[in-house]
Amino acid sequence: MHFPFPLTRKILAVAALVASGSVVAQPSFEGPPPTRDVVASVPVRRAQYLARAQEMIDWRISRYAEIGLDKMDMATIAMKLTRDEDIAACDARVIELMKEPGTGPFWMFPTAMVAFAGRDKLSVEAREAIHEAWRTTRQLRGDTENHWVMYHTALYLMAELYPDESAAGWANGLSSAENRTEARGWLLDWMKLTTTIGQGEYNPTHYLGEYAIPMLMLASYADDPAMRQRGTMMLDWLFAELATVTLDGMPRGPNSRTDDTSVVERWYALATYFSWQLFGNVPVGEGFRGWGWGNYFSVLAENYEVPEVIYRLALDRDADTLQHDRARSRRIWRYSDEHMRPIYKTQYLREDYAVGSTQGGISDPIQSHVWDVTWAVDDPRGVHNTMFSMHPHSSGRVMQMFFTTYPEPMPIGVTSEGKPSYDSPDKLLGCSPYEQVVQDLDAVIALYDIAPDARFPHVNGFFSKDLEDVTEDASGWIFARGGDTYLAYRPLAPYHWVPHVSYPNSRDPEKTEPTGGRVLTSPHVKNGTILQAASVSEFASFADFQAAINALPLSYSLADEPTVTFTNLRGHVMHAKFGATPSIGGQPVDYAGWKLFEGTHLNSELGSRVLTISHGRLRRVLDFNTLSITDSVTP
Amino acid sequence: MPIPPVRNPLSRFRRLLSSGIVLGVLAGFSLSAAPVDYDFYLCANINRNYVIGSKIVTTNGLFSRDETTGEWQHFGYNDTTITALAFDPRDRDVLYTTTLNGIWRSLDGGDTWRMTNSWDMTEGRDVAVDPFAPDRVYLALPSGIAVSEDRGQTWQRREHGLPDRGKFTQRIALDRVVANRGLAGCEKGVFLTVDAAANWRCVLPTETTVNDIRQSPHDPDFWVAVTDTHGAWESHDNGESWNQIANLPHEHAIYNVTFDATDANRLAVASWTYGVWTSEDGGKSWTSRDAGLPENPRVWRVGVEPNTGRLYASVFQETLYYSDDFGRTWTPDALAGSLVNNFVSVPRS
Repeated sequence: MHFPFPLTRKILAVAALVASGSVVAQPSFEGPPPTRDVVASVPVRRAQYLARAQEMIDWRISRYAEIGLDKMDMATIAMKLTRDEDIAACDARVIELMKEPGTGPFWMFPTAMVAFAGRDKLSVEAREAIHEAWRTTRQLRGDTENHWVMYHTALYLMAELYPDESAAGWANGLSSAENRTEARGWLLDWMKLTTTIGQGEYNPTHYLGEYAIPMLMLASYADDPAMRQRGTMMLDWLFAELATVTLDGMPRGPNSRTDDTSVVERWYALATYFSWQLFGNVPVGEGFRGWGWGNYFSVLAENYEVPEVIYRLALDRDADTLQHDRARSRRIWRYSDEHMRPIYKTQYLREDYAVGSTQGGISDPIQSHVWDVTWAVDDPRGVHNTMFSMHPHSSGRVMQMFFTTYPEPMPIGVTSEGKPSYDSPDKLLGCSPYEQVVQDLDAVIALYDIAPDARFPHVNGFFSKDLEDVTEDASGWIFARGGDTYLAYRPLAPYHWVPHVSYPNSRDPEKTEPTGGRVLTSPHVKNGTILQAASVSEFASFADFQAAINALPLSYSLADEPTVTFTNLRGHVMHAKFGATPSIGGQPVDYAGWKLFEGTHLNSELGSRVLTISHGRLRRVLDFNTLSITDSVTP
Repeated sequence: MPIPPVRNPLSRFRRLLSSGIVLGVLAGFSLSAAPVDYDFYLCANINRNYVIGSKIVTTNGLFSRDETTGEWQHFGYNDTTITALAFDPRDRDVLYTTTLNGIWRSLDGGDTWRMTNSWDMTEGRDVAVDPFAPDRVYLALPSGIAVSEDRGQTWQRREHGLPDRGKFTQRIALDRVVANRGLAGCEKGVFLTVDAAANWRCVLPTETTVNDIRQSPHDPDFWVAVTDTHGAWESHDNGESWNQIANLPHEHAIYNVTFDATDANRLAVASWTYGVWTSEDGGKSWTSRDAGLPENPRVWRVGVEPNTGRLYASVFQETLYYSDDFGRTWTPDALAGSLVNNFVSVPRS
């Protein structure tokens, strides 16, 4: 069992900061939230982007000015090398660190970055220490998509750095040419998959860094101009999607992978670092978020230019946007007829809130997040600005689908390996085979038909500490307000409330802390949730909103397959029956006809390898068939 | 209990390698029931809750048992993810292991290694060398089955007859007396080949994974397979037909089965839920042998030291245990915190 564990990394980073005793200013975390005004001047925007990268670098370097250059981590060494500072200290620290190499992609790519940043600056001894570590240390490929991107990128680049090594020059017994061919083969296959049927780890709240940094390394270091171009284009691809799946810089659902904290505090994620770095539209996290993979992006940030069309997607939103996009599940080894399930994402963004969902079912078995409404806040720090429901699924059988494990150990193992809530009845993280979701604009119907012998046969709904005016109406609707968003949540079966808890120790499922929020728990296997959001500005009063919701036609049945027919606030009749294709406005949802991207800003035909990014008069076309980027502006 | 100190493991290993020509590989046994000396190995993961990115701070991977001291001596590389080991019967310096990365081959007794699979053949579950054509190596993958005809240098998929979906292959067991014949434990059942993996056919359908298949060292027609949800199965016609073994629990997974090379009547199985069960009448009756192991033991693997009949049990992330009375009493052994993925017996001559 092998799992990355961002929460643990965060804890370690915080612990390291505390242990250092340093109190180093981090302006963009400690200061007021950014204005989110569009910066029209390209030079000014670029200067601000570079200044943010320098803020990160200054902060990181300043920490080690206090605790000692002999303690530098790899990110700081790369920064020092890039700035041409303290090279002797970098030499010494590299030699020291190479005495105990790591075992996989999280060691490989930082080391590769230092090797490249220092290839003309580090001493012969330091460079040889790196070389020797790669010659003698076996590296594990890992078992997830982000692992493989880091592993193969690092392998590709190091084979480029040491181009003429025989098999004896590498711990894996392959020559440089063989390693380069192997890594290139995987990278091209991954890019092909992503640009034809979608990314497996779509919209991750943390793992964006594990993709963006390797792609920036390819764009910066690859000798092959085609690989450099691919790196740049993949960055555009990733960041265009980031811009459309964030609300004022905050990640929101759905997410292939998130964690116990950032599923409720949507801002609390590494993806926020990238919004801050690229767009400057959100406060960055403390320590630039967790373990700080953003550090590595900042080292090479000057090698990427944020296209104006992507910048505008993130900041210049004067109209509602709607995307129907596809992604894919992670690879399914067994117990499924599908090798990778298609994931159908619906994403609706307005000024005050965003609603997003997938169709439900199993995607990533541990950390996915299927649907939510997330509302805008002026300052997201510490705010739990989201609402959703889910079935707390826990299953060894599902683990076996995705991992080469036996049925029993993995549910227990993951709880002590960075996912403490996985096997908890009150968890809010994960997907379920017993959940089916349909979304129309800002309305969601989530149906549950839970096997009676499922480990946790109930539905959890998240009610944040930051909700206001929560009202349990006699009609059965629960009304609330979050920011400038009205929310109507309709549980379809009786429920009770339990306190929401966080997991302060990512390796200890027994240690919990109340957050002030609540979980609506409905202990019925035939179940459902209806959610309707609206802007406060659309109604004269909260009472008017409630009256409007109560007037909406709604019928449902929980006998046999849960079934709902609901006419939403936008006048569309939504019909959903568990196990059947839902319909909107009388038309079945045509999942088979969904494109890779189809919507206001991103469009791509399935399998085409061409993505069109558009905003207003701006348009950028990424064509992976010709490795071309074409910009155009409507006169 | 700490791992015993390693005393010149490679020299010990090479001494073992030079001890004779072997006729069988990977838990293969002698062609007859005549007494045979074996070497005994295991593949162990000794990093409790290891996750990718952690430093490997303990010694993992391949261990050979020193008969003189009873100690487990590490050799080869240090890796948390080795699942299987196989030797070339002609040359014990040629060995194959499966890991998270794929398949690794050594031509020099474990001094140097080459990762021989391509990026789309990873997370190998099992490896087997053809005893009749040792250049041919079989690889069990979560995505199916691959075969090499050049000692693992290159690989080709050989999956004709396996279902389009359901090819997850946990185990490859090659017949030690009939050439080109072998059984694969897959997601959808036990599959048989009689033409060196050119074709496969299902001889025991299952709804969940077949976790292990073993051929008796005493009777080549006698095979046992264990599964996730279908209990244990036996075949007395060399894998052609199968009957469920009575008197063994079968609602939860059984992870592996082992025969005792010193006693034709002795078998043992390991289960997370059921612990250790043994039979001493050729599989007719079974007894729980958990007494003396940690309470409610989650047993990952059982193995029998083939020269002595000593029974080993790997309890999940506990120390290794052994029993010299086939499970009636247990003694803690080395490898604290370990998880043994495989016990491997190799005949010396």
